[in-house]
Amino acid sequence: MLRISVNGRSSEVDVDPATPLVYVLRNDLALNGPKLGCARSQCGACTVLVDGRAVRSCQMRAGEAEGREVTTLEGLGTPARPHPLQAAFIAEQAAQCGYCTNGMIMQAAQLLQDKREGLTEADVREALDHNLCRCGTQPRVVRAVLRAARQQGA
Amino acid sequence: MGVDTLSRRGLLAGLAAGAAGLAIGFRLDGADAQPAGPAAPAMLRANPQLDSWVRITPDGRIVVLTGRVELGQGILTAMRQIAAEELDVAPERLALISGDTAETANEGVTAGSQSVRFGGEALAVACADARATLVGVAAQAWGVDRAAISVRDGVIQGAGGRSMTYAEAASRVSLVRPVDTSARRKPPAAATLVGTSYPRTDIPAKVFGQQVFIHDLRPEGMLFGAVARPPGYAARLVSLDMVWAKSLPGVIEVVRDGSFLGVIARREEQANEAARMIAASAEWREGAPLFGGKSVFEYLRTAPSETRTIHSTEGGGPGARRHTAEYRRGFQAHASIGASCALARWEDGRLTVWSHSQGPFPLRGDLARGLRMQQAAIRVIHVQGSGCYGHNGADDVALDAALLARAVPGRTVRVHWTHEEEMTWAPWGSAMVVRLEAGMAGDGALTSWAHDVWSFPHSTRPASTDGCNLRAAWYLENPVPMGRITDGALPNGAAARNAVPIYAVPGQKVTTHFHTDMPVRTSALRTLGGYFNAVAAEMFMDECAAIAGVDPVAYRLRHLRDPRLVAVLRRAVEVSGWQPRPVTPGRGRAQGTELIGTGVGLSKYKNSDAHVAVVARVAVDVGTGAVRVQRLWAATEAGRAINPDGIANQIEGGMVQATSWTLMEEGRWDHRRITSEDYHAYPIIDFGHVPPIESVLIDRPDLPSIGVGEGSQAPTGAAIANAILDATGRHVPEIPFTPERVLAALRG
Repeated sequence: MLRISVNGRSSEVDVDPATPLVYVLRNDLALNGPKLGCARSQCGACTVLVDGRAVRSCQMRAGEAEGREVTTLEGLGTPARPHPLQAAFIAEQAAQCGYCTNGMIMQAAQLLQDKREGLTEADVREALDHNLCRCGTQPRVVRAVLRAARQQGA
Repeated sequence: MGVDTLSRRGLLAGLAAGAAGLAIGFRLDGADAQPAGPAAPAMLRANPQLDSWVRITPDGRIVVLTGRVELGQGILTAMRQIAAEELDVAPERLALISGDTAETANEGVTAGSQSVRFGGEALAVACADARATLVGVAAQAWGVDRAAISVRDGVIQGAGGRSMTYAEAASRVSLVRPVDTSARRKPPAAATLVGTSYPRTDIPAKVFGQQVFIHDLRPEGMLFGAVARPPGYAARLVSLDMVWAKSLPGVIEVVRDGSFLGVIARREEQANEAARMIAASAEWREGAPLFGGKSVFEYLRTAPSETRTIHSTEGGGPGARRHTAEYRRGFQAHASIGASCALARWEDGRLTVWSHSQGPFPLRGDLARGLRMQQAAIRVIHVQGSGCYGHNGADDVALDAALLARAVPGRTVRVHWTHEEEMTWAPWGSAMVVRLEAGMAGDGALTSWAHDVWSFPHSTRPASTDGCNLRAAWYLENPVPMGRITDGALPNGAAARNAVPIYAVPGQKVTTHFHTDMPVRTSALRTLGGYFNAVAAEMFMDECAAIAGVDPVAYRLRHLRDPRLVAVLRRAVEVSGWQPRPVTPGRGRAQGTELIGTGVGLSKYKNSDAHVAVVARVAVDVGTGAVRVQRLWAATEAGRAINPDGIANQIEGGMVQATSWTLMEEGRWDHRRITSEDYHAYPIIDFGHVPPIESVLIDRPDLPSIGVGEGSQAPTGAAIANAILDATGRHVPEIPFTPERVLAALRG
């Protein structure tokens, strides 16, 4: 039995601790935020925050998440209280299919924590360079992250 | 076969019937109202029932139905705008049902940039009919002229504060009847919603992690399935220790039917791991090596193919000079971020499938043939998937799920392919060779134009009337082979899409060399053959302009008769600050270790849809051959814009995707199968390489909406190619323009 804390809630899961975290989040805890993409840490769709750091949940074993705080897209904000990034992605219409959106937002969430001021377009591109989007929404994603940074700074 | 034939058939029928429909249906009392577009009657004739497009329920819900499906292109938002506009209802109030074989119209496949043009037009006419009918009920009840009545958010309003809801009106009339195709759409000038950038209705759910995707469906008691793949496409199963296979952790069932082999497990990762172990331990018999050991281009040029001249025009002499060039493109992948997924459940011999297929109805037909059952016993319900960009694994995985779920009746089985399965087993975009030959007069004017294309199929989707185009069916003990493979015919074409020149040249000839044998299975990748045919033709135009010693834009304008193409070309030139100059072979403008070049590309997608001109500025590193796109500019015109921001999103997204195709993407294979199985082996563009993009839209509310979703791919590839030519003065004939190829051209 594994005890992990996700979005401020502690859950017990009957699973092999070696199971990649993404399966536990999606299939045991019924969370939709982290997406299963390449499962090889190449696309970033499965990104979550573990103790505030962006982590590829396809690579982290569920057992490693014990005793740490996992935050998924659902825990970042809600329609009533959206995170600035969530609001900005809507404002900029920064998605097409939206499958990569989780990873973009979660990776950018770490960026916004780390660099609260003077964020440039180059910073955003560098931070998201290992998050892939096949629809070609990268220019909108960059605008959305910069908008969120302004919002957060305001 | 596939969508293209279906819709082409519809288009032709629509054109034939359109004139008659116009004469009968267009009422003169509404001179400013728009008659139904020529193709709408065909889509409505295929699905004539009004209640398959719009329903008003007794409790006042307004339900709009569309056979088109959301692929991330924003089509359901556009449909909502269109329906709300015609119905005069707040868009948020509409309930939308999409792509469900038990509910919606059969609109074939959502592909080819046809949804707004055909599906949107049909929906608009149906909604206009519903509104007119309901207003008529109120007019009669109140004894007033319908001209004295207005509608506000679904409430019919008359003089003196009288009002009647749509639900009340609907209770006095039957909307279960054929659509009156003479119904008039609201004139564009009166539109308040169509033409605005109404925000996408699906984005909020996606940024908050709500259930949106098929991968997020988790019905009670769901099990997980996975397929154990052969080592190569032609390999067949000889033996497997079934007892051992069933003993693997979490495994509930092992399904073997001929060489189709799969497992059902309690957990997703257990299913995947068991499938991997089973595939590795099973004994397989290998097939013949792919392409007989040749390169794909050698294979395309030398293996037997069907050669047909599909377009020719008279006139044009041999010209004073001739120019010939050959261009090549390797296999390219859809490479969706989320791999294909389906859910299936059997109950009392009936099958329900949840799928992100582009064509729920065609998929149902192929499932029925693959499973040897009646299609009436199958329901396919569309649920969004990851963006597909054409025929990826979405359809195949549905049969996988159905075959596995058959072993556990009453239980839902979800199959979510791995990314490696998607890359290896889904169809690829065809490798192609294009050869162009032109005659030119002494003044440089084109006197003849011959375009030859060697290609594998560009549509092997479900929807054939025979066989089964779902991969698992070919591996069964009693296999169901593929349906007959045909190339799409002009005007829109498949292998020859956009091979007919957009330029006024006498003496045109288009010839296809079509391969129906597919060592690597190919099918629709966004634009089919359109991207590469147009890229090749536009590269060739620049080479001809260089021979003529004329500026590439001026050279194009000299050969253009289509005012809409002229307009986008002029606009792109204007926004990019194009400096007229002839292409001078062998001379690049050096800037440090880089050569800087600017190029233009122009296209009218399918020779019938979006007009897009793109200008690219690139930097070529002379030491490495690496090409960096510094900036892209685009001008687009696609008739009446339903949602300008939606168009911008599609156009700009297509430009990013085409930049990736053009510079980076090429599938590789060994003797058995494709080996480009992940993003390391098949890289796609990352943030660092996405260029800044400036795109402008020319809205033409006076013209019918035409397809735009695939409009920017070809002109983007062409503009980059021509910018490389401008920078280096060298012909680089093979896409992708990898550093190695560009360097070889620089040193050649």
